[in-house]
Amino acid sequence: MGEVLLEQLINGLMMGSVYVLVALGMVLIYGVMHVVNFAHGVLFTLGGYLGYFFYHRVFDSYPLAIVLAVLSLAVIGVLLERGVFRPLTGNLRNQVIASLGLILFLENLVVALWGPNALQWKVATTEHWVQLGELRFSLHHLGIIVVTLLLVTALGLFLKYTRFGTAIRATSQSQEAAIVVGIPVRTVQWSSFALGCMLAGVGGALVGPLFLVFPQMGDVPLIKGLAGILLGGMGSVPGAVIGGMILGVTESVSTLFLPTDYRDSIAFMMMVAILLLRPQGLFGQRMRGED
Amino acid sequence: MSILQVSGLAKAYGGIRALEEVSFDIAGPGIYGLIGPNGAGKTTLFDAVAGTVKPDSGRVMLQGQDVTGWPSHRMARAGISRTFQECRVLAEESCLDNVLFAAQPKGLGASVRQLITRASGHRRHLREEAMRLLSMVRLQDYAHQPAALLSFGQRRLLEIVSTFISSPEVFLLDEPASGVNPALLEVLADFISAMYAERPRVFLVVEHNMEFIMSLAQDIIVMHQGRVLERGTPAQVQASPAVMEAYLG
Amino acid sequence: MGRSLLWVLGLLVLAALLSAPSWTAEQPYVLHMLVLMCIFAIPAVGLNLMLGYSGLVSLGHMGFAGLGAYTAAVLMVDARWSFWSALGAATIASGLAGVCIGLICFRFRGHFFMIVTLAFGLLLHAVMNNWDEVTRGAAGFAGIPRPRPLQWGDEVISFGPLPHFYYLALGLALLAFAVQYLVVRSDLGRILSAIRQDERLARSRGVDVLLYKTVVFALGSALAGVGGVLQVSFLRVAAPASFNMLESINTVLIVIVGGAGSLMGPALGALLYVGLPEWLRLANEWRLVIFGGLLVLITLFAPAGLAGLLSSLWRRLSPPRGGSS
Repeated sequence: MGEVLLEQLINGLMMGSVYVLVALGMVLIYGVMHVVNFAHGVLFTLGGYLGYFFYHRVFDSYPLAIVLAVLSLAVIGVLLERGVFRPLTGNLRNQVIASLGLILFLENLVVALWGPNALQWKVATTEHWVQLGELRFSLHHLGIIVVTLLLVTALGLFLKYTRFGTAIRATSQSQEAAIVVGIPVRTVQWSSFALGCMLAGVGGALVGPLFLVFPQMGDVPLIKGLAGILLGGMGSVPGAVIGGMILGVTESVSTLFLPTDYRDSIAFMMMVAILLLRPQGLFGQRMRGED
Repeated sequence: MSILQVSGLAKAYGGIRALEEVSFDIAGPGIYGLIGPNGAGKTTLFDAVAGTVKPDSGRVMLQGQDVTGWPSHRMARAGISRTFQECRVLAEESCLDNVLFAAQPKGLGASVRQLITRASGHRRHLREEAMRLLSMVRLQDYAHQPAALLSFGQRRLLEIVSTFISSPEVFLLDEPASGVNPALLEVLADFISAMYAERPRVFLVVEHNMEFIMSLAQDIIVMHQGRVLERGTPAQVQASPAVMEAYLG
Repeated sequence: MGRSLLWVLGLLVLAALLSAPSWTAEQPYVLHMLVLMCIFAIPAVGLNLMLGYSGLVSLGHMGFAGLGAYTAAVLMVDARWSFWSALGAATIASGLAGVCIGLICFRFRGHFFMIVTLAFGLLLHAVMNNWDEVTRGAAGFAGIPRPRPLQWGDEVISFGPLPHFYYLALGLALLAFAVQYLVVRSDLGRILSAIRQDERLARSRGVDVLLYKTVVFALGSALAGVGGVLQVSFLRVAAPASFNMLESINTVLIVIVGGAGSLMGPALGALLYVGLPEWLRLANEWRLVIFGGLLVLITLFAPAGLAGLLSSLWRRLSPPRGGSS
C-alpha cells in the first residue's frame, strides 16, 4: 500500500508540476494585467506542437526544441498582448471574449496545420528509467519535476531580487503607484505576458512526449491552472505554486479511492468549493468588488 | 412621528470606525444640509440610510417603520432614494428614457404583467411629466439624445430629475454641486428649491460647497469623527466655534 | 420609409423561410443547414438575453443545453414519453437548473462570475460523460426518436422526413425569437438593460437585481434546453461532446459575432456559423479558425457585431429624415 501511495505521490508531483507551470503563467498575467487569460490552454498546446515541430523538422535535440518553442511563444505572447489585449484594456468582458476567440483560432489552426489526430513524440528521456526502491519512473517524469522546481526557483529569485522582477511585483500590487514611481508599466505588461506564455509553452513541450501531442491537449490544463490559482489565491505567485501542487497530488492520490473517470471533476468541484467557501484562496487578498 | 429618524448608527470598516454613534431626527419636510470635514462619516451615513451598506448597530426609521439594514432596492421602494457623488445615469439611454425608467414600476409581478399585456396606458401621462421635468432643467432638447452626450453638469441635473420623478419621501443628494460648472450652480440650486416647492419632502444634501449648501438649506447637520457635532440654521452653524475647530483643527 | 422597408424585408425573409422546402427541393442539404441554424440559434437567443441584454457573461451555457437534451433523451427512450412532454419537462429542468446554478454564480462579479459559470458547465459535461448508467457516457446516447407522427384530420404527419422536421425546428426558433422580442421590448427588458449598464444605479432605483438576474438566467437556460432537445431529436443521438466547453465558447461566438444585445444577432450569428463553411467550401478546421479570428476582430473593431455593422450600413444608405425618431 505504501508503495502504491508513493507512486501516486510522485505522479501527483509530476502532474502538479505541469499545473504549476500553467498556473504561474496565468497568475503573472492576472497580477499585472488583471485579466484571466482563458487562451492560456492553447498556448500550452502551441508549446507542445512547436516543440514537436522543432524537434523533428529542425534539430534532433530535445532541449533545443524546448528552447526554440519557448522563444516562439515569447514572440507570440508579445504579439497577442500588443495586438489584442492592450487595445481592450479596461474592458474585462471584451478581453475575455477576445481570449475565447483566440482559443478557437489557435486550436483550430493547429488542427488545420497538423491534422486532428494525436501525434506521438518520442524523446530519449521517456525511454530511460530510474529505479526508486521497487518503483520505476521514466527520466522524463522526474525531469518534469526537476525542471519545474528550477524554473519556479529562478522565477522566485528573479521576482524578488532583480529590478525588473520588483517592477513586476510593484505593478501587480498597484498600477497607479507603479506609474507614479516611474516604472515602465507598458513594458512590464508585455514582458509579463510573454513570460506567462513562455511558461505555458514549457509545460506543453514537457508534456508532449509524455502523453501525446493533440489539439485539445491544453483544454484540461487551462482548467487545472484556473483551479490552481483559485486555490492559491488570484494574485499570489507562491499561491499558484502551492495550489497547483495540491491539485496535482490530490488528483493522483484520489485515483486510489475513486474511479479515474472522476479525477478531472475534482478540479471543477474544487473551483466551485473555493469560490463558495473562501474566494480569496489560500494566500490571496480579500476580493475587490469588481463591479 | 418624524419622517426620518436615525439613532445610534455605527459602522466600522475593518479597523476604521466610520460611524461611531450617529443620531438625529428629521421631523418634517425641508431641505437639510449634511456637512463635515473629510472623514466625518457623511458618505457612510448616506450609504447606511440608503441601504448601500448595512450598519453594524443602530436604527433607521422611516415614518415610524424600521428600515434598518434594508437593501438599497427595498429602501428605494419604501421611499428613500439617492443620487451618487460620481453621478450615475444610464449612458446608453436617452434623457427621456432615463427619467421614464426611474418612474417605471420595478416589481417582478408588475413587469411580467406588462410583458404579457404589453400595456402602456399611463405611459403618455408619464411622458408629459418627464418632459416637463426635463424642461425645468433645460434638457428638453436632449430628450431623445443618449445621456452619454451630456456634459457632467447636465448629467447631474438628469440624475436629480430622474430621482425626483419617483417621488421619494426622503431624497438623498450626494454632493450635487461637486464637479458642476460654477455657472450652472445657480440653476442647480434653483432647481432643487423648485423641486422642494413642488413636493415638500425631506431633502438631505451632503455638500462640501459651503456657499451652495448654506444658501439652499434651512437646517444644517454637522458631522465630525463619526458623530453629529452640531445642528442648527446656517447662521448658527457658521458662527459655531466647535464647527470651526472641527474644520480647522 | 426606412421602417416600412425593414418590415417588407422581414416579411420576405419570413416567406422564404416558410417556403424553404420547395426552393431547396433540388438541394436538400440547404434545408439540412437551415435546420442546424435553428438548432444553434435557439440557445444563442438564450445567451443573448443573458449576455447581450443583461451583461451576464456565462461560459457554460451549453451545459444547460446538454441537461435539457439528456433529460428529454432519458424520458423519451427509457420512460417512453412523447417528444412534446419530454420537451416540456426538459425545458423546465434546464430552467430550474438555471435558477439554482445562477443563484450560486450571482454571488460573484467580473472574472469570478465567468469562472464559476465555466466550472458549472464543466461539471454538467462531466456528469454527461461519466454517469454511464443514465447518460450512456462518452459513447453517446443513441436511439433518440423523432417526435411521433401527429394526426391532423385524415393526414398523418411524421417527423422523419426533413421538411417536416424543418417546420418543427423553424417553429421553435420563431417562438424563441418571439420570446426574445417580447422580453426585450418590455419593462422587463428595460430593467435587464439597466442592470447591464449600471447595476448599482438599477438597485438604487428599486430594482431587485438578484431576482431579475435569476429570471433571465432561468429563461436563458430554458431556451438552451429547448435547443438541446431539438438537436438530439434531429440527430437521433446525444453526445457529451456537443455540450462541452468548446461548444459553450462557440455559442458565445455566435452571439457576439451576430451582435450581442440585438434582436437579430443570434440569427445572423447562427447563419454565419452554419453557412460560412458551405459558401466558402472550406474544411471544418478552417471554419473555426476564421470564426475565432472573426471573434477577435469583431471584439476589437466592431463590438456591435454583424447586426451593428448592418444597421450602420442601413443608416448610411437611408436618406436622412427631419426630426428625431
